[in-house]
Amino acid sequence: MLLRVFLRYRRTVILSVALLVSFLFMTLQVRERGPLVDLVERGLVLTVTPFLKLYAAVTGTGSRLWVNYVDLRNVRAENLRLQEEAAALREEVRRFAEAGQENARLRRLLDLPESREFELVTAQVIAKDTTNWFKTILINKGSEAAVRRNLPVISTEGLVGRVVEVMPGTAKVQLLTDPVSSVGALLQEQRATGLVTGDRGQSATVKYLPLMAEVRVGDAVLTSGMGGIFPKGILIGTVTAIHRKSGALFQEAAIQPSVNFGRMEEVLVITGERGSGPPRARGVPPAAER
Amino acid sequence: MIRFLLGLLLVTLLQTTLAHRVGVAGIRPDLYLLFLFFLSFRVRSEAATAMGFLLGLYQDAFSGAPLGLHAFTLSVGGFVLTGVAEGVDASRIFPRLVLLALSGLALGTLAQLLLHFFRLDPPVSALVTVVLPTALYTALLGGAVLGASRLKAALEVRL
Repeated sequence: MLLRVFLRYRRTVILSVALLVSFLFMTLQVRERGPLVDLVERGLVLTVTPFLKLYAAVTGTGSRLWVNYVDLRNVRAENLRLQEEAAALREEVRRFAEAGQENARLRRLLDLPESREFELVTAQVIAKDTTNWFKTILINKGSEAAVRRNLPVISTEGLVGRVVEVMPGTAKVQLLTDPVSSVGALLQEQRATGLVTGDRGQSATVKYLPLMAEVRVGDAVLTSGMGGIFPKGILIGTVTAIHRKSGALFQEAAIQPSVNFGRMEEVLVITGERGSGPPRARGVPPAAER
Repeated sequence: MIRFLLGLLLVTLLQTTLAHRVGVAGIRPDLYLLFLFFLSFRVRSEAATAMGFLLGLYQDAFSGAPLGLHAFTLSVGGFVLTGVAEGVDASRIFPRLVLLALSGLALGTLAQLLLHFFRLDPPVSALVTVVLPTALYTALLGGAVLGASRLKAALEVRL
């Protein structure tokens, strides 16, 4: 009887079940992601991850071979150029060493702590977001490499984003250009603080900047260290435009992130500070850790 | 079924690794919708709905979207497209492209409404900056695929 009813209305039944399950999944994530959603998502990601890692390994090897071939062709000219550059850099290193010693002396005089050094995990980007709504990437390091939720992710160019989901062998990273992302920011020159949010494109916006701050195009924007996730002083980007609306309490600035997210292949996850525990997971309740 | 699962794997690999390389101003074609669109001309309504659901789950799992968002929209897409596809002349490219562009617009708007319902609040401008360009780009790519398959068929007849 039941089977007969199902067969008769199977189109409607299948559609209803699909919509109900989808809606249920979305509802379960409104406040905090539940274990059921995590389990399903991990299962889906794990079925494709081996192929993504294989693809990344093959394209990585191919890319390296090509780069090596191109390097060999240009090695003589490159050698001469590097010798000149090395001479200039030696002079620069000497000046930096002087400045470093002076910095250490002044820090001792002012009783300031030494600069922090981070424990980093290098990871390869193996997949990018499948939609145009959000901006996330998948990296090839997960829970086995001490990657945890809310850890900051950087590259050699600056801030990338933060880890939002961790699975065995992979982790999902929310880029700073994601519309849901927000990062405490500090203008390097003006020392004014604001909040960087993504805008679905390749750029981002610094909101809530004080009206009195004289923001200029080209100003560097750094992480402010507020919010408990990102360490202070990481380069986010540079100001490209300033928006002041009449009657508004704050001003906004469009910024160009220092990281080229389109060409990003490797990232660094900050898993802790040397000589201390994980710095950026502080303030995150244990229940939020996954 | 095996062919569908292989197609699902291929679409996921292409969407996560190569689609951004052909992106224009950050907008990439939606290969999941394209795959579902072509399926809807070949399978029955209930199969297209289930396939749309599975495609959507994978699309959500590899994005920052809440799990279920695209599972919802592509389930609706599979169900509706099979019904509409019956009335479309499959031998003509233009009506199929219009249908593909319209389905991209409709499902994008549905996603926008769902995001709004779940308090993720995308701006209304996203209809113009995300939904419309994605639908048009996907339709353009669909046109290229249809044109290429038509050309291949014509060459095979001549040979």
